[in-house]
Amino acid sequence: MKIWDVITTANSNLMRNKGRTFLTILAIFIGSFTIIATSGIRTGVNNYIDAQLDSAGGEGYIEIMPEAMRDMAQSQMGFGGGDEPQEYDPKKNSAEMRAINKTDLAKIRKIKGVQSVKPARNVKAEYITSSETDKKFVISPQALPSDRINLDIAKGKDGKPDGRLVSINDPTPEIDLLPGYAKALGFKSDEDAVGKTVKLGVVESATMQVRTVEARVAGVLNKSVINMGRSWINTALEDKILDITYAKMPQSYRDQVYFATAEWDTKLGDKGLEDIKDGLKKLGYIGMTMEDEVGMVKSFFDAIILVFTIFGGIALLAASIGIINTLFMAVQERTREIGLMKAMGLGKGKIFLMFSIEAISLGFWGSAIGVAAAYLAEVIVNPIAADTFLSGLPGFELIKYDITTLALLILLVMLIAFLAGTLPARRASKKDPIEALRYE
Amino acid sequence: MNVIAARGLKKSYGKKSSRFDALRGIDIDIKEGESVAIIGKSGSGKSTLMHLLALLDKPTEGKIGVNGKIASKLKERQVNKLRNQEFGFVFQQFFMNANDSVLSNVILPLKISGISKRERKNRAMEALKTVELDDKAKAKARDLSGGQKQRVCIARALVNNPKVIFADEPTGNLDSTTGEKIEDLLFSLNLNNRITLIIVTHDSDLAARCDRQLHIKDGKIKKDLAKPKASVKKGGRK
Ligand SMILES: Nc1ncnc2c1ncn2[C@@H]1O[C@H](COP(=O)(O)OP(=O)(O)OP(=O)(O)O)[C@@H](O)[C@H]1O
Ligand SMILES: [Mg+2]
Repeated sequence: MKIWDVITTANSNLMRNKGRTFLTILAIFIGSFTIIATSGIRTGVNNYIDAQLDSAGGEGYIEIMPEAMRDMAQSQMGFGGGDEPQEYDPKKNSAEMRAINKTDLAKIRKIKGVQSVKPARNVKAEYITSSETDKKFVISPQALPSDRINLDIAKGKDGKPDGRLVSINDPTPEIDLLPGYAKALGFKSDEDAVGKTVKLGVVESATMQVRTVEARVAGVLNKSVINMGRSWINTALEDKILDITYAKMPQSYRDQVYFATAEWDTKLGDKGLEDIKDGLKKLGYIGMTMEDEVGMVKSFFDAIILVFTIFGGIALLAASIGIINTLFMAVQERTREIGLMKAMGLGKGKIFLMFSIEAISLGFWGSAIGVAAAYLAEVIVNPIAADTFLSGLPGFELIKYDITTLALLILLVMLIAFLAGTLPARRASKKDPIEALRYE
Repeated sequence: MNVIAARGLKKSYGKKSSRFDALRGIDIDIKEGESVAIIGKSGSGKSTLMHLLALLDKPTEGKIGVNGKIASKLKERQVNKLRNQEFGFVFQQFFMNANDSVLSNVILPLKISGISKRERKNRAMEALKTVELDDKAKAKARDLSGGQKQRVCIARALVNNPKVIFADEPTGNLDSTTGEKIEDLLFSLNLNNRITLIIVTHDSDLAARCDRQLHIKDGKIKKDLAKPKASVKKGGRK
């Protein structure tokens, strides 16, 4: 029998019991669709994060925190600490250890490859307002740690960016507004807000009185995951805020910092970065690049995706049992036919092949329909998502597929189907023609 | 020349205490163009013998020769090819793919031999013409009458131009008139195409039409009768 005839015969055999074939394909479809759709979401999210990371630059910029700080954060989140009381260890638990002191800052500066260190001071503001409105809005300002960061500035109707990122060394206090703030503060548009003056309310910690400080709007930010709701300010504004916050308090309060940022020489490459991280570790600090931070978000997300993929895998496993079952039934039903074909000289191998092709076809159709449905989901869901819960994140395509993954998945499912089919196919090929012809 | 020869054929089913000897030593020589009836009571071993001669089953003991070659020395592939190209089968219960068309049932052996689509259709139509069923080519096999079904089976058996047609009770499921038509068909193939016929039957009338009658009893040949008039044809038998 020619291979093409084996294939067409196998497929017409599948069409003989349409209901059963359909149900088996449906089961494979469910498993394939789950896996494809989740991998699509994974690709979509990762692409977006990567794009954000790329646009943010962040090359040559590293965030530093004391190890004790991380340990505390972890034990508060319930990791690693357990319920038992932990014995106090000044090396690990003292407040002193959780802060970065001046001598350490100097030591960090001396690590080979580090070009500058900037302590991240505790900048807090009560509210933001402007002369255009009576309303006040909450705000969380943060000093831009490095000029190397390049956050996404919103684009106006003309497609040009609305303003720019604050310039760290500009003597005029500057701020970048979060999306939506321009309108809320009474400006006509994002574009209109650029260059205008806003007022920030800051509490004097010693007296709990609120003072105001003025700042120039440098630009309006796009919404982004990396931004995490922070309004960036330059050093001039940072100093003014700190002047108010720590007024009438000893200088030591003001110098107490828990985080710092450093700029390093990117010419040193990954090896240089590793060395810097090691150097920080020896001093009792952890260094994290923006990529590391995003990596944590990604790995958390990947864990969720993994769970769904496992669900899909379990569905596929169940589907392969469905294939085995379907084909065993087919072998049983077609016992006489198999016997007849063998009597007429059809070889074992061809019969095995015929049933294997039936299995592979089931796998192919199940996964191909899964791919088609997943593609349809992309076409339908992406615009809806972009208009609703992702409306604030322009450029975020929730589901994204790449052709090779899809093709590989189809091939993989076909392979699984083939493996599932080997059992019934073997039984069919081993049928004794006489037994089969006697079979009533 | 002998198309099929057998020496000391034995066939046993089961093992030890439940062992049953269906055939207990059979020697046969079947010449090309002969028509041979295997006749005997139910359970005497007729079908078992036919299956062995058709290489559908292997003997427990003994040898079978086909076209002068020893069957047990042939590879599985060669045996399959032999069955596909030199043998045709007709069974009592027809054994057709009921949901397929008459044509595709007849095509099946050609499909198995790997003949091209066009040629196999032409040849199948020719075979259907021989059994006068070419007008039913497109009909579903299940919609045919018993006699028509058996004619389709004969068309299927002869479509590959076999040397031998094995028929196991070909008229067993048919009334006597229809049965006779089937018999006529088989014997005309025997006469016109020199196809060797090996027919298993209960029916002594059918057996009487054959050149030879092998009477089987308890797994042995009891009588080997030649047809009175035609027995001298082709140098008789040895
Ligand atoms: N697979 C088997 N296992 C055990 N016994 C078998 C098997 N096949 C056949 N037999 C036995 O061998 C004997 C011969 O069987 P066979 O089918 O050749 O008889 P038969 O002469 O064709 O009978 P019938 O005219 O009823 O078809 C019977 O007694 C049968 O029970
Ligand atoms: Mg029988």
